[in-house]
Amino acid sequence: MSRLPTPRDWYKDAVFYEIHVKAFMDGNGDGIGDFTGLTGRLDYLQELGVDCLWLLPMYGSPLRDDGYDIADFHAIHPSYGTVEDFQTFLDAAHARGLRVIADLVVNHTSDQHPWFQASRGEPDGPYRDFYVWSPTDERYRDARVIFVDTEKSNWTWDPVRKAYYWHRFFSHQPDLNYDNPRVREAMLDVMRFWLDRGLDGFRCDAVPYLVEREGTSCENLPETHAILKEFRAVIEGEYGGDRLLLAEANQWPEDVRAYFGDGDEFQMAFHFPLMPRLYLALRLEERLPIVDIFTHTPTIPPACQWGLFLRNHDELTLEMVTNEERAFMYYAYAHDPEMKLNLGIRRRLAPLLDNDRRRIELLNCLLLTLPGSPIIYYGDEIGMGDNVYLGDRNGVRTPMQWSGEANAGFSPAEEGRLYLPVITDPVFGYQAVNVAAQTRTPTSLLNTMRRLIAARRSSAVFGRGGIEFLRPRNPRILAFLRQHGRETLLIVANLSSAPQPVELDLGRFAGTRPVEMLGGTVFPRIPPTPYFLSLGPHGFYWFRLERPTDGDESYGIEDALV
Amino acid sequence: MTDAAPSAAPPPAVAQPLDVAAPCEIAIGVLTYENAATVPAVVEVVRAGLERHFPGVAAALINADAGSSDATPDLLARSGLPLVRGTHETPPGQRAAVPFHGVPGRGAALRLVFDVASRLGARGLVLLEADVPSVTDEWLERLLRPVLEEKADLVLPAYARHRYDGTLTNLLLAPLVRALFGRRLHQPVPGAAALSARLLDRLATDARWPASGRHATDLWIAGTTIAGGFAVWETWLGRRRVESRTRTTDLPTVVAEVLGGLFEVMDRYGDLWLEVGDSEPVPATGAPAVPAIEPVPLDVERMIGAFRRGVRDLGAIWEHVLAPETYGDVLALDTPSTARFDFPDELWVRAVYDFALGHHYRVVYREHLLRSFVPLYLGRTAAFVLATRHRDAAATDAALDGAGAAFERQKPYLLDRWR
Repeated sequence: MSRLPTPRDWYKDAVFYEIHVKAFMDGNGDGIGDFTGLTGRLDYLQELGVDCLWLLPMYGSPLRDDGYDIADFHAIHPSYGTVEDFQTFLDAAHARGLRVIADLVVNHTSDQHPWFQASRGEPDGPYRDFYVWSPTDERYRDARVIFVDTEKSNWTWDPVRKAYYWHRFFSHQPDLNYDNPRVREAMLDVMRFWLDRGLDGFRCDAVPYLVEREGTSCENLPETHAILKEFRAVIEGEYGGDRLLLAEANQWPEDVRAYFGDGDEFQMAFHFPLMPRLYLALRLEERLPIVDIFTHTPTIPPACQWGLFLRNHDELTLEMVTNEERAFMYYAYAHDPEMKLNLGIRRRLAPLLDNDRRRIELLNCLLLTLPGSPIIYYGDEIGMGDNVYLGDRNGVRTPMQWSGEANAGFSPAEEGRLYLPVITDPVFGYQAVNVAAQTRTPTSLLNTMRRLIAARRSSAVFGRGGIEFLRPRNPRILAFLRQHGRETLLIVANLSSAPQPVELDLGRFAGTRPVEMLGGTVFPRIPPTPYFLSLGPHGFYWFRLERPTDGDESYGIEDALV
Repeated sequence: MTDAAPSAAPPPAVAQPLDVAAPCEIAIGVLTYENAATVPAVVEVVRAGLERHFPGVAAALINADAGSSDATPDLLARSGLPLVRGTHETPPGQRAAVPFHGVPGRGAALRLVFDVASRLGARGLVLLEADVPSVTDEWLERLLRPVLEEKADLVLPAYARHRYDGTLTNLLLAPLVRALFGRRLHQPVPGAAALSARLLDRLATDARWPASGRHATDLWIAGTTIAGGFAVWETWLGRRRVESRTRTTDLPTVVAEVLGGLFEVMDRYGDLWLEVGDSEPVPATGAPAVPAIEPVPLDVERMIGAFRRGVRDLGAIWEHVLAPETYGDVLALDTPSTARFDFPDELWVRAVYDFALGHHYRVVYREHLLRSFVPLYLGRTAAFVLATRHRDAAATDAALDGAGAAFERQKPYLLDRWR
């Protein structure tokens, strides 16, 4: 087992990168990505500048929900390799200073899991209470159906046990019964299995739904939080405090806040409502949606962190917007009905933004500068496209585009054997959009992303600082200060597609010198009067505000250097 | 007295005949430039030291002045000792750059003093710094005695210092000199020193004096002395306090000068170091001073900030100078956490060696190369302070010794790439 020397709160400074093993690189030529292939591409990730890889489910599974239907928690899916291959990958990642967390579905299993098979087949056996069984489908009526496009009820009849079983997601994903202490211990054993191998943590899937209670929405219940705290305490006690638990709780910020506890539950949780509002602000060309959602974002414990993202492996979820906002989002970003899925839009970043390089960079700018740890979805760093006609969310899970060679350099297999076809359309096809070409082009999106990530890594403020929004009169300009310790950063972004002027009230920083962080250009000192800037279409600045004395102070060693 | 008959003929740079000072057994060399404020104290120490420790021994002062306008040479003349004055070349660039580190034309000044001392037939020459008023008469004795009564040819000082004084010496100069020349010296660029007659004869007639002077000359002297089989000693002195109007404390300038001198010696005098293997300590006199460790106001955060600005702004130069893996490792140092900032020994050594190679092969304009090293030095210094500030003096010394060993251990890396 390899481990990195670790500050406990490493995740606060980290840039995450979300990877589907099957989609990244095929190492054995069977048309499906695997750990051998992924290991061979670690140098690319290191050069990109990310700190932590988040692996989508990699376990034994019938793959009816892309691995979120786990049938064997202790195995690697044979298509991706073996546990030994995983260990080799993990050690190689650690050798490069990269951490790795993995998705873990704690709420449910596949109906193929031996626990479920035993539970349905032996009503008096040891697994009889591993799942939530009921003779009626009338219980918990206040719990909403999440996958409204495919499921009509949260109960499904099992003809073997002759009872209904509870599932918040697909009917082939029965929910585990967390009122059963043996289930909790079994899930902890699963975690131990991977943490013993050096894994740096888990992204815990669908955590609000662990416990059911009559008369409630069966979401975010106190009993659920108690179980999650128990998980954290055990992991912290057995492995020290540097293993990360990241919550997937697609809830409003005030509800997600509870998942941080008093710093004793999850260290990180996704900030779901921010993401659609970034797109909303961009399309409306005004800052209000972004400022508003942060105004309604509660303070979290000091050791905790928000996870920010622009896109991920799921649809761009619009659960956390109003009906009016959702209608506008569909209008703005999903003109083809095929692009909609559940309450969301199944598209990648670049197609969502019409492949407009300026807007892609602007949203990435915000991703990397707003409070939280950014999570980049694989392929978005090169502006990969999607294929909404592949069904479900497969359109955003196509093979990584490495080069202009056959199968985008992803696999030597015959084209028909690929787990999904590569993107081939004229705009986003692999011949036009690939890593090799962008590596060679200094001005490519990939190289721009590398520079942005490097700039973010140059300051602890991004991961640890507070935020203060400025209120310039021009509503198309988003401007905010990030402060941590003695360092202050000023971020200014033009949400408009037209050039914009702005006057910023920075009087309290009078005499300070703004140094642009991406190019190193020193801007005129800030006067006591409003500071005037002009920004090009969707342009942005990252400034470090250097005090007048920053260049003149002593290090304390000059008097006797030699 | 040396066996060789002294030459009474003065060198061209000395206007007066040497008879006024000959014969002499002890020569005291003082290099000056605008040191009127401090030179009287130095003169008094010389007078008292000779009287107390070397009574009755014939002695003479040799002064090489770089063109002072503040009566420094006249103040020296009031010592009552026989005095030989000389003038030497002071490159206009160095004089125009005042304040800078040291006497303009230091190399030429040293050569002049050595030449005169040798011609006077002195058994030993002691060099004293005109802008170090903390000098005591014991310094004179401790520097000279090993030359006059033991077998020492070159005696270098080791000062009582705070552990974070002399970071450039401790973190770069001393460990690199250890790896290059095979001797573990505390103060390879000394300012003060004592030399034996036979070493003076050897150096005064050497045709390979470095052209640029400054630190290159001191390092060349040390290297030539060691390579020539002469005996190098150290002697422990007290605290060294500098009072100068002409020395700069501008950090980038000092770093560039010191590093430039070191690289110049490596570049031009490969015979002095390419074949040298393991290092050894040198004989020392006096009681070693334990470094002071009381807290001092160091701005580590600012040092790391400077390192980060280097990462941000100097990548285009570092990419050319550093080996790809070294560059990658340096970039990886840029962690947001100040308290956990680290710059490991092995990486530091590789960075220094890559810069030496880059200087040797002129991969970028040399002045740019030398100045772009400054953020690396500050990063290394910050890491050293962070690693030692809660530890005792012995642990600090051990950390420095470990760094020195790393320079030695990785010398093959340098040799493999040096042609």
